[in-house]
Amino acid sequence: MAGALTLRVITPDRIVLDQTTHSIRVPATDGLMGILPRHAHMVAALDVGVLTYEKDGKEACLFVSGGFLEVRDGTVRVVSEAGELPEEIDTERAKAAEERARKRLHGPRAQVDVVRAELALRRAAYRLTAAGARR
Amino acid sequence: MAGIRELRGRIKSVGNIKQITRAMEMVATTKLRKFQDRAVASRPYAEEITGLVGRLAAVLGDEIADKPLFMPREGGKRAVLVVTSDRGLCGSYNSNLLRALEAWRSEDESHRDVDAIDYFVYGRKGFSYLSRRGHNIAGVFDNPELEKIDYRGAARTAQTLVDGFLDGTYSRVQILYSAFESMARYVPTWIDFLPIQASSLVGDEDSSGAMAGGDVILEPDAEAIFDRLVPRYLETRMYNALVEALTSEYASRRMSMKNATDAAGDMQNELQSIYNRKRQEGITKDLLDIVGGAEALR
Repeated sequence: MAGALTLRVITPDRIVLDQTTHSIRVPATDGLMGILPRHAHMVAALDVGVLTYEKDGKEACLFVSGGFLEVRDGTVRVVSEAGELPEEIDTERAKAAEERARKRLHGPRAQVDVVRAELALRRAAYRLTAAGARR
Repeated sequence: MAGIRELRGRIKSVGNIKQITRAMEMVATTKLRKFQDRAVASRPYAEEITGLVGRLAAVLGDEIADKPLFMPREGGKRAVLVVTSDRGLCGSYNSNLLRALEAWRSEDESHRDVDAIDYFVYGRKGFSYLSRRGHNIAGVFDNPELEKIDYRGAARTAQTLVDGFLDGTYSRVQILYSAFESMARYVPTWIDFLPIQASSLVGDEDSSGAMAGGDVILEPDAEAIFDRLVPRYLETRMYNALVEALTSEYASRRMSMKNATDAAGDMQNELQSIYNRKRQEGITKDLLDIVGGAEALR
């Protein structure tokens, strides 16, 4: 294979991931973006979503809550407020959060911070996707 | 017999105090380690964010001077966030910090103008100090309390200050906290939080140059990334300051509890030797009485 990439996912609490891989797909603000080895130097803003990467020939994923990405010298650094591996995601909690956000969005408009509720809904939905609770 | 019973009582109570201070020392040691670990764990994130901000600032150049968070303002009040501890028994931790505050107040006429400065406070000690002196306290952060601070809590605090700055209430926001220099040195330190000093954002030469030269792909574009990045940058500064203040607090508390334990130990030894001497004197005197009595009977 033509080279490899190092993927590091960094959050304020810890380094979630630090490993080599051959391909990565990230939720950039303008849509999904793929990164392969020998990518040019790049900085991108990320959206809430699911990051997928190749691991031992299979596809693995994790949930990221916005943040940034920098590709430089074969290293992909993802700097995000939250990065959660599938096994760490509390699906019950995410489901409850999704339900709550839905209710708020369907409730009387005047009292709802629509932007916040929508963001909460998206976070919950992507968490569930990453956890594999939903395809 | 003057005090042999009292001496015994005192030895016991000093011993009890020693036990308590030793327990507190151990608790402080554990918490200190926890906050130190947290400070270490947050460093890579802070470094990445700070590095990115610096490099993008180099791309944008003079444009950033027009960003609201970078623009110096006229007219508004000053805001000062004072970070102290909730609890006492931590040596000179709080008094050092508050002394630095007084020193700052005596520096300049405008630093003393009570109506022109709003204080924000972390920690009960700082709150009672400032409110007793009649300062304006615009906000007390106690949810979550300082000891339970996490990144999101720090982010909310930063947001409160940013909002006050953006709506024009404050023309300047500063933070006063205790920087952790070593286990025995905690230095009261001022941070110029807002407006952000563009000169403080310096990226490393190489990559800043590459970025400014347009050799780097920026998605969607430099300005959009930068605008998203700056709030994160402020959050990490806030989080760092708070975690560092906590580390200083517990290092100071551990030190003062260790000193108290040592002092109690010394006192215990001293009292014990006085007690032994007194007891021996008593025995000698009793013996003399018996021997004298026996001698007289002969």
